[in-house]
Amino acid sequence: MASEKEGGTTTVPARPGDEAQDRSFHSVGKPIRRVDARGKVTGETRFADDLSLPGMLHMKLKRSTVPHARILAVDATRALALPGVRAVLTGKEFPVPYGILPVSQDENALCTDKVRFVGDPVAAVVAVDELTAEEGARLVEVKYEPLTTIGSPEEALRNPEPQIHAYGKGNIHRSVAFDFGDVPGAIAGAAHVFEDSFFYQGNTHLPLEQHATLAYLDQNGLLTISSSTQVPHYLHRAASKVLGLPPARVRIIAPPQGGGFGGKTDPFNHEIVAGKAALLTGRPVKIALTREEVFFCHRGRHPVQMRMKTGVDAEGRILGHSVETLLDGGAYGSYGMASMHYTGALETVTYRMDRYRFRGCRTFTNKPPCGPKRGHGTPQPRFGLEVQIDKICEKLGIDPAEWRIRNAVPPDSVTANWMKVGTIGLVACLEAVVKASGWKERRGKLGRGRGLGIAASSYMCGAGHPIYFNDMPHSGVQLLLDRGGGVTAYCGSTEVGQGSDNVLALLIAEVLGVEPADVKLVTGDTSLTPIDLGSYSSRVTLMMGNAAIDAAERARDRLAIAAAQKLGIPPERVGFGGGRVFDVSDPGTGMTFAEAVVRAESAGGTVGVVGSYRPPPPPARYKGGGVGPSPAYSYSAAVVEVEADETTGIVRPVKIWVAHDIGRSLNPVAVRGQVVGSVYMGLGEALMEEQAFKRLPPKLSSALVHVGPSMLDYKSPLTLDMPEVECFLVEDPEPSGPFGAKEVGQGPLLPIPPALANAVHDALGVRVDEVPVTPEKVMAALRSPSRRCGPEGFPVVPWPEALDVPPPWEGGDGNARNEPPRPPKKKEGVRP
Amino acid sequence: MQDFSFHKPQNLAAAVDTLKKRPEAKALGGGQSLIPVMKLGLAAPSDLVSVAGLAELRGIKVDGKELVVGAGMTHAEVADSAEVKKAIPALAALAGHIGDAQVRNRGTLGGSLAHDDPAADYPAAVLALGATVVTDRRKIAADDFFRGLYQTALGADEIVTSVRFPIPEKAAYAKFAHPASKFALVGVMVAKGPAGVRVAVTGAGPGVFRQADMERALGGRWAADALAGVAVKAEGLNADPYGSAEYRAHLIGVMARRAVAAAG
Ligand SMILES: Cc1cc2nc3c(=O)[nH]c(=O)nc-3n(C[C@H](O)[C@H](O)[C@H](O)COP(=O)(O)OP(=O)(O)OC[C@H]3O[C@@H](n4cnc5c(N)ncnc54)[C@H](O)[C@@H]3O)c2cc1C
Repeated sequence: MASEKEGGTTTVPARPGDEAQDRSFHSVGKPIRRVDARGKVTGETRFADDLSLPGMLHMKLKRSTVPHARILAVDATRALALPGVRAVLTGKEFPVPYGILPVSQDENALCTDKVRFVGDPVAAVVAVDELTAEEGARLVEVKYEPLTTIGSPEEALRNPEPQIHAYGKGNIHRSVAFDFGDVPGAIAGAAHVFEDSFFYQGNTHLPLEQHATLAYLDQNGLLTISSSTQVPHYLHRAASKVLGLPPARVRIIAPPQGGGFGGKTDPFNHEIVAGKAALLTGRPVKIALTREEVFFCHRGRHPVQMRMKTGVDAEGRILGHSVETLLDGGAYGSYGMASMHYTGALETVTYRMDRYRFRGCRTFTNKPPCGPKRGHGTPQPRFGLEVQIDKICEKLGIDPAEWRIRNAVPPDSVTANWMKVGTIGLVACLEAVVKASGWKERRGKLGRGRGLGIAASSYMCGAGHPIYFNDMPHSGVQLLLDRGGGVTAYCGSTEVGQGSDNVLALLIAEVLGVEPADVKLVTGDTSLTPIDLGSYSSRVTLMMGNAAIDAAERARDRLAIAAAQKLGIPPERVGFGGGRVFDVSDPGTGMTFAEAVVRAESAGGTVGVVGSYRPPPPPARYKGGGVGPSPAYSYSAAVVEVEADETTGIVRPVKIWVAHDIGRSLNPVAVRGQVVGSVYMGLGEALMEEQAFKRLPPKLSSALVHVGPSMLDYKSPLTLDMPEVECFLVEDPEPSGPFGAKEVGQGPLLPIPPALANAVHDALGVRVDEVPVTPEKVMAALRSPSRRCGPEGFPVVPWPEALDVPPPWEGGDGNARNEPPRPPKKKEGVRP
Repeated sequence: MQDFSFHKPQNLAAAVDTLKKRPEAKALGGGQSLIPVMKLGLAAPSDLVSVAGLAELRGIKVDGKELVVGAGMTHAEVADSAEVKKAIPALAALAGHIGDAQVRNRGTLGGSLAHDDPAADYPAAVLALGATVVTDRRKIAADDFFRGLYQTALGADEIVTSVRFPIPEKAAYAKFAHPASKFALVGVMVAKGPAGVRVAVTGAGPGVFRQADMERALGGRWAADALAGVAVKAEGLNADPYGSAEYRAHLIGVMARRAVAAAG
């Protein structure tokens, strides 16, 4: 039975001049009830699928039944003849392509000439109710001319034709190569060399809330799309582009969501088609995806094959580390270019390595597109690295916990690939889990069938660059203070369940000395709120948080001046707290917050202020160095204890100790919730989750289909499968974070799969170099003479010429020595 | 899901009558298999005839050397029944590990047998114990009832009313549960009783089946290690991402040994 234990909080002693550390807080750091909790537990929160309008029509998509084919004809005659059907839309209506990344504008809202996977939408039927729309979609007839299916990265490499997309090289979407120093040279001089192949299977987000969209024209004819999206701003751009409307004529609203995990971070075809359908029919149009369709939307974890080669000195210090990755991208670009870079970008930020070499290649295949899932592109190489370190330590007879502590990157470093890291709580995290788990006394001594494994990791607090190149803020917050003492905050951030609304209210309340519950929020609305780029890359707390503090401090300054005048003191002496504004040297003297607002408004007009945040420019200047930089990095470590049955291969996690470097926890209950949720998701990936495909028998068209696009077939741990999780928070305030806070939404997932695989080795002496670690693979490893189950090698990939970027300590300046000439900056340039 | 008419007949005769009159009608037990199948569009009955609550399908009793379980009894009722726990504890334990609490509170014995999912648990018990399936019109021996992948001997309008389980001397069920649904990836029921030594395997093949080699070995000597020499062939077994045919063959051996050990 799942249970959660408070492992406690470790506070790293303050450094001199660390102001954030010295503050005392009213609300920050307290286990206060979340501002959105009431609506969630009473069922009053209105998710996208709860929305409904009078006269609303329903839409269903006709999806491709073949994985790769040219569309010869779409015949809607029978569908249109069905009573209740109001419109049928096809690819003809959607000639303008879109995509989340400027470099991969390769989707059409409905397929125009080709379908690229089973589930690709070909037509949309709009009808008076959902059943009629479904029946109408069934009646749409599509004639296909089948094309050879590309089922795997190997097939994509082997078959440049037929090309799934008209860009890229054959079916290679994109490949990159970087040399940060001479790695082959370093490896040649190494005392020991380790070479391993790993595979990390794809899996999907599985949010409880299925995607839903309601599109309508408001009373002024403004096209409004309310949708379960993590990125209303990017949807806004894509929808206006495809629909040919000026952005000012489109409004996107993101209601609260029942989980996203990256699965709602692309602009989706159904959102844009619903918008078009509303324009065509003049009626509100709703679409609520089925669970099966959510598996088709996907954008989940890329299956990644990896080869890692590492040279170490006699003490195990990494002299050179080489990573090659091959990604199965699925049928569209999505975030794939970024995902590919991420399979290499964060390899350097945990342990010291002198030189680093990275090769990455993403292929197109005829499957639902892969994209960003919690940890975006980094859990796969993290698995390989942490398992390989375990092997290095085994061979050299070093305690793997000790190795990690000894080799941790020191704070305020620039890594071999030019990632600038500030505070690093890695060692404190490792020490916390080592101590609590009894690592030193218990590892290797639990008897056959029981074992302990350790791993650590790091994640970004927001991407250093926006998705499309621009010089504007990544997040903006607007505040309106009313005469009654109310505070209303406007921000484009989207509450996907992670608690962003709570962070927004909390930080503003902290600065202004009011209660979080007194701050009213208007979020995720492109017509009403300043832009926040969205709930992705763990950016919200840091970026929205800094913008919120910026705005709140401006409001506070105005109130302080007005109050100071009344109190006859300098503004610096004005304090805020408990709903009052007062003289800090005589706290009994002061006024209510409302009175201070009235005074400020009387003196200087309406109290409305804005704040914004843009990350500092990163030192990486080479092409491709735009993926990976972040204002700050969080760190995590975990020890997993397993019971492994050598007759069945079943692995059961018994207990997990996890520590997370949060900088400062704004709300410890919410932070622990994210840590435990990440552990749960990491366990699902480690043990069972697979977005897997099979070919139907030839008499059923040989189509490449999902093996089980349902919650009955897709395996994910249940409450009863969860072991006890003991969670430790390491607090070492990060100067670039809001009151020192870092991210927690993604990082704690990362150490779980490798720690589990390492624990299986401790329990049974076998290596499973693949995720998920299924019982069958454990049995295969037990039977194999090598005591290992995993990929036998790595495919031959035609790598491009490598960019030669010397690491900082080899005299580099962040540029490549052989940088190809860059095209002049376009209005919507590309970075990377 | 297509629209359908719902019927709640007062007695068995009325239920059979409705099924006979409407060729596209289907009996509805707890709906734990039929409703998901309808949601997937794999079945679209015109009428659903609710049978789980019929008096003729309710009740659990010991009748001579047999345990008689009404086809309308839910998995939870069977798992919690004092009679079942006393007469055939392995059957109560099996029922208690079907799916999750929600499924056990709705799903019925009759529905499970009529549906005959290749990974369902009950068919292993019915076959290993050599039970008799009783319907509104006849009695069907376990060996004649299951016909492979979702196929049974039942007529389209035939209703299972009860199952008569001969009370065994020893019996136990061991299953390797699918982590999402808890269906059997491989489940093995072993029994020694009036019907002889019987070993039934579910989850591994296209339908529940008896393992003759194991029955012979255990007939000679009832002990887990008596199975040591029995080779299980992978040929014809199911394969999916969670388990290949070879792995399932391996698990049949492991589960059979565990079941025999548990049966004592
Ligand atoms: C999440 C989930 C997990 C599950 N896990 C397991 C598991 O681990 N092991 C397992 O064995 N099963 C499992 N099941 C299936 C479950 O046991 C079903 O309850 C059972 O298979 C069907 O019983 P029912 O009463 O719900 O039948 P229904 O779904 O109502 O009907 C199923 C079929 O039987 C017919 N039928 C129903 N009653 C009768 C009757 N008296 N006479 C004739 N025909 C009848 C119906 O017409 C239909 O064709 C699971 C189901 C779910 C949803």
